[in-house]
Amino acid sequence: MEAPTAVGGGVAWRLWALVPIVLLALAVAVVVSQGDRVVDLLGGTPPPADEFDVRRVEFREGEIRIEVRNPQRDDLTIASVTVDDAIVPFTLDGPATLGRLRTSTIVVPYAWVEDEPIAVGVTSSTGIETVEEIPAAVLTPQPSARGFFGYGLIGLLVGVVPVALGLLWLPSLRRADARWLAAFMALTAGLLTFLGIEALAEALELQAALPSALGGPGLVLLGVAASALGMTFLSARLSRGKTGMTGLALALLVAVGIGVHNLGEGLAIGTSFSTGELQLGAFLVIGFMVHNLTEGLGIAAPASGARVTVWQLIGLALIAGAPAILGTWLGGYAARGTL
Amino acid sequence: MAKFTRRRLLCATAPLAAAAPLGAKIAIGGGDAAAAGHDHSTHRTTESHSDHARMGHAAMIGDGAPAVGGPNELDELLYPPPALPYKPGRVRPYTLVATDEEIEIAPGVFFPAWTYNGTVPGPVIRATEDDLLRVRFINRGSHPHTIHFHGIHPTNMDGVFEIVVPGDELTYEFPARPAGLHLYHCHSTPLKKHIHKGLYGAFIVDPKVPRAPARELVFVMNGYDTDGDGGNNFYTVNGRSFYYARYPIRVRKGELVRVYLANLTEFDLINSFHLHADFFRYQPTGTGDNWEYTDTVMQCQGQRGVLEVQFSNSGTFMFHAHQSEFTELGWMGYFQVEE
Repeated sequence: MEAPTAVGGGVAWRLWALVPIVLLALAVAVVVSQGDRVVDLLGGTPPPADEFDVRRVEFREGEIRIEVRNPQRDDLTIASVTVDDAIVPFTLDGPATLGRLRTSTIVVPYAWVEDEPIAVGVTSSTGIETVEEIPAAVLTPQPSARGFFGYGLIGLLVGVVPVALGLLWLPSLRRADARWLAAFMALTAGLLTFLGIEALAEALELQAALPSALGGPGLVLLGVAASALGMTFLSARLSRGKTGMTGLALALLVAVGIGVHNLGEGLAIGTSFSTGELQLGAFLVIGFMVHNLTEGLGIAAPASGARVTVWQLIGLALIAGAPAILGTWLGGYAARGTL
Repeated sequence: MAKFTRRRLLCATAPLAAAAPLGAKIAIGGGDAAAAGHDHSTHRTTESHSDHARMGHAAMIGDGAPAVGGPNELDELLYPPPALPYKPGRVRPYTLVATDEEIEIAPGVFFPAWTYNGTVPGPVIRATEDDLLRVRFINRGSHPHTIHFHGIHPTNMDGVFEIVVPGDELTYEFPARPAGLHLYHCHSTPLKKHIHKGLYGAFIVDPKVPRAPARELVFVMNGYDTDGDGGNNFYTVNGRSFYYARYPIRVRKGELVRVYLANLTEFDLINSFHLHADFFRYQPTGTGDNWEYTDTVMQCQGQRGVLEVQFSNSGTFMFHAHQSEFTELGWMGYFQVEE
């Protein structure tokens, strides 16, 4: 007799539990529609900053292209454009008045001087000038087979090659003493922990530069949660209900994680080349190569106890390393200020 | 740069990495950006002849010049009221009303100005020496203002201590002295703000012995700091940047052209006037017999003078500040000299 009552009561209570959520939604709707009036009660709301977000400045033959975005809630109108503190004629590829997060490209016919610093300014209808200083004007690379191959080659050098070289330690690891193996596994764990902490710190630092409308720390934590869930899901799939993962499965898991990480490295390198920081790019390549050798070791260590074919090893190297190629392409051709 | 902590780390270790011969190879294979930066054999000129029509001064004349409004809209400021022959005991009445106005100073760029009679600069005030000047001043603005005239007058007519609060009015009355080109401006504090917001104008006192008949023009040089950083974003004569580039001033070859030139630019120490392809005679402050024969004059803030020119040729004669920055931020125009 008691059981049905309990179930019925449960349904009622569950429905009752929805009430606060529904009411909250209503309250939020009211604030969204009337929020300005509530804020007005406080008095003295400052005017909008009216600054543009200069996303990209491209240098072409006899032409500068400036991509701007409106990072604020209020509309923002492009009224005047300067190059090196001089008003210049321009045309717009997009609207002059930008709604929130809308972008437009300003096209300025201009005989810019190669390799010299240059500053572009965009003035809003309220007279606020946003100035973007470019350390050196360099012809923006347009997609070409040669450049595409170049970026791909760099991605290969940074990602696939060192990981593959690291995997060559596999035979030595197999013959190594169990204590040494444990030590290398610990090294792998340490490496991944370091990468995790470093990536998180870097992500938090990067998000500070983003327009607030795009998220902030929450966005980073959302990304962390998403990748953790993804990896957990993958790990569950790989172990298929068994008590533990096989060595190869663990190696695959590590390779996937490292692959995602290398995508970011590729982006950094591609961006650095495309923004003209060439020397830095070359050093970046060397640094990442040396660094990524240990990633190969990290993949090899868990696989040392299992039987692995050459093809599987190649596959692991590609999973861990190839995303760097994708990254350099993305960074090289789609480099944005926000990347 | 500061975005990539990883990159900074590697930059710091770069000297070590530079030892690797691999570095050189990577730099060569670094894609299009590398080629643009280093390959001087394919050094690019960033303009072609056809581009010139879209750029530079050629693009800054007529409809290509980014100036506000239609033709003849600034005639009241450009052409002063006529000089009257000396007549003892004559009263010259004027009414100046201070208002807050949102004025368009360049296409689409609005400046929250404080004005006399709705324009920046204010109207030209003209009297013959020893005329009794009677200026009724009404403050319909939101801040306390005054009118401070340059010239010889009782100190209680000096517009320094007699502050006119919003809604109030005051009549300034004094004999116009000495003959020359003078100024008037607000002298409320903060002085910089009250002047820069637009409360100023030209004050011509004609000598009892009239000047030779001429086509007379008034140029009041000014600037606008639209983003409040203490530096001007736009420069003009008579209030609108590039206005006389869009609508050249028409005069006749050989006729006497007299320009009353005054500098009311805030923030910058000096401003200047340079005439192309001819010379003029310049009388500092419009007083005395000290005429200079030149094509360029410099004025500090508040300085002014009278210049006279008879064009020796017909054609398009550029004039502008000989500070290139001011020129390219709007202080530029043309005389169209006809046969």
